[in-house]
Amino acid sequence: MIEVRNLHKVYGRGPAATPALKGIALSVEQGEFVAIMGRSGSGKSTLLHILGLLDSPTQGEFRIQGTDMLRLSDTDEARYRLEEFGYVFQEFSLLPGMSVLENVYVPALGLGRNNGFKKRATELLRTVGLVDRMKHDPTELSGGEQQRAAVARALINRPKILFADEPTASLDLASARVVLDLFRRLNNELKLTIIMVTHEPDDAQYVDRVIWLKDGLIADDGPTASK
Amino acid sequence: MGTLKLAVFLAYKSIFKGNRWSLLLILMVMSLSFANLLLTPSILSGVTDAIDRQRIDTTYGNIVIDPQHNEYSIARTRDIEEAVRRVPGVTGVSSRLTSSALFEYEWKLKDRPEDKGKSGTWRVVGIDPIHESEVTTIHRHIFDGTDLEPSDRDKILLGIEIAGGERSETAPFQTLQGARVGDTVRLTFPNGVQREYEIKGLFRARDIAVADHTAFVTRSEMASVLGRDVYSDRAHQMVVRLGDSGLEARAVEEIRALGFPVEVRTWHDYSGALSGVVSSFDIVASLISGIGLVVAGIVMFIVIYINVLHSRRHIGILRAIGIGRGAIIGSYLAQALFYSTLGIVVGGLLFGFGIQEYFARYPLDLAIGQVSLVLQPGTVVNAITGLVAAGIFAGLVPVLHITRQGIIHAIWGK
Repeated sequence: MIEVRNLHKVYGRGPAATPALKGIALSVEQGEFVAIMGRSGSGKSTLLHILGLLDSPTQGEFRIQGTDMLRLSDTDEARYRLEEFGYVFQEFSLLPGMSVLENVYVPALGLGRNNGFKKRATELLRTVGLVDRMKHDPTELSGGEQQRAAVARALINRPKILFADEPTASLDLASARVVLDLFRRLNNELKLTIIMVTHEPDDAQYVDRVIWLKDGLIADDGPTASK
Repeated sequence: MGTLKLAVFLAYKSIFKGNRWSLLLILMVMSLSFANLLLTPSILSGVTDAIDRQRIDTTYGNIVIDPQHNEYSIARTRDIEEAVRRVPGVTGVSSRLTSSALFEYEWKLKDRPEDKGKSGTWRVVGIDPIHESEVTTIHRHIFDGTDLEPSDRDKILLGIEIAGGERSETAPFQTLQGARVGDTVRLTFPNGVQREYEIKGLFRARDIAVADHTAFVTRSEMASVLGRDVYSDRAHQMVVRLGDSGLEARAVEEIRALGFPVEVRTWHDYSGALSGVVSSFDIVASLISGIGLVVAGIVMFIVIYINVLHSRRHIGILRAIGIGRGAIIGSYLAQALFYSTLGIVVGGLLFGFGIQEYFARYPLDLAIGQVSLVLQPGTVVNAITGLVAAGIFAGLVPVLHITRQGIIHAIWGK
């Protein structure tokens, strides 16, 4: 599904240039739940941002189902992010001024179709256990609840791939477990491909495969014990 | 259609569910900017309007009838008056005999007859007080004494800038230095006739260019000075009042069509240098409006720019979840239009029911008279156009800038 070859990313230019990725090669199959792990500065978030079309590499190849993702126009990139991908960020990323329900269905408005998005958003909030909080302002939710609402938003347009950038980093242990259990359930039930960056070793028990990054290179790549 | 709907949804949420202080601040800046864009040109238009009204009310009426270019005076004035009064829209006609004269006050106190003393040369106008009051408002500006009667012969009405004293604007050495009602002045006319007049009234029309430098006697008195045989049915000038100031061009045509051997012009044709002053005011008004618009635009730009920059992360998240640039830019455009429209409405109400009402009750008391605000349609159109353009510019530039940045940079600033 996802094919990456010789992926490089350098921040800055000239003497200030800092390489973040130094030639990554990997492939992810449909329905896999993959964790990208590594120390701070290892390049894991950079890799996730490039895979999620939030950033572009300095060089390399990146294809999804055969499509060259590095040759997409701005419009096509936006379409991929809207229709094919879902995102959960480390920091709570719900939009201010909108209720929890509105936050969940905003991406559906972007599709421009009256596709029963309110009903689906309500169902998704029920799935993540927040249906009774859907009219609340995001600031009235706990960190774990905000992250679950962000998961519901990520799923509203039925994405093929869910990208999660340290989704449990800002959560307490109990909330983190709820979110990871949710990911596991979505992966099992919907066969959703999930690529998650994390630095918590304990998170590995929830995923099928762990890719270890060190200094911008893949140090290890293999299935977890749970698999 | 989806993009438009989403843009409107995002704009609505940002405006009504966002920071209320921010909304209030933007609204305040927009409405005060709009009111300011209306205020300054309205004051200057009020000044020019006051000058124009002064010329009509105190000096020329709406239409001036002069002798033909090779004549000194108009003949058959009674016939002309009668005919002109029948022209639709005419509410008054006054025939005037005009001369200059040397005015002397307290001349008996001079050490030598050739000393200047309290004297000067001014214009004397012979009028029928009743007819004149149908055309000009001099009689309403008498602040001491009374108006002339048609039968008065040795009475004179003096403009404040001739009489002098505390209320005059002219330097004392250019006036009679405080002539008062009941005092006597001596006039020497160019034909050598010398007469003494009792000051019956003093007026201050606040037309410091012409009217307040004029003295009035009755027309029969002036005719006797100039030569009753010749001037009993003649005038040097006739002034005509119309019920509606907008009908001058048409009335001029109709008076010309009566066929009398006279020159007929509107008051505007007599503006002379004053017209240049008024034009200068218009230019100054345009300049101040332009500067006001630029300043308002910059202030709005800063306020909206800060508001949009504050939303940088918000914009980044929207882009990350796949919302297109068109919808994001459209939402900020809609917000800018909303702020501009609300600023125009609130600013317009503030101006119409607050500032304009205040100036109507308490006009500015300037040397040229009382000045109220005069709002020209062009001023309103310019202010609306300017405010909307500035609002759109201020809203679009930062959002275009942010949506061109990388998503990661927009969200996390790195």
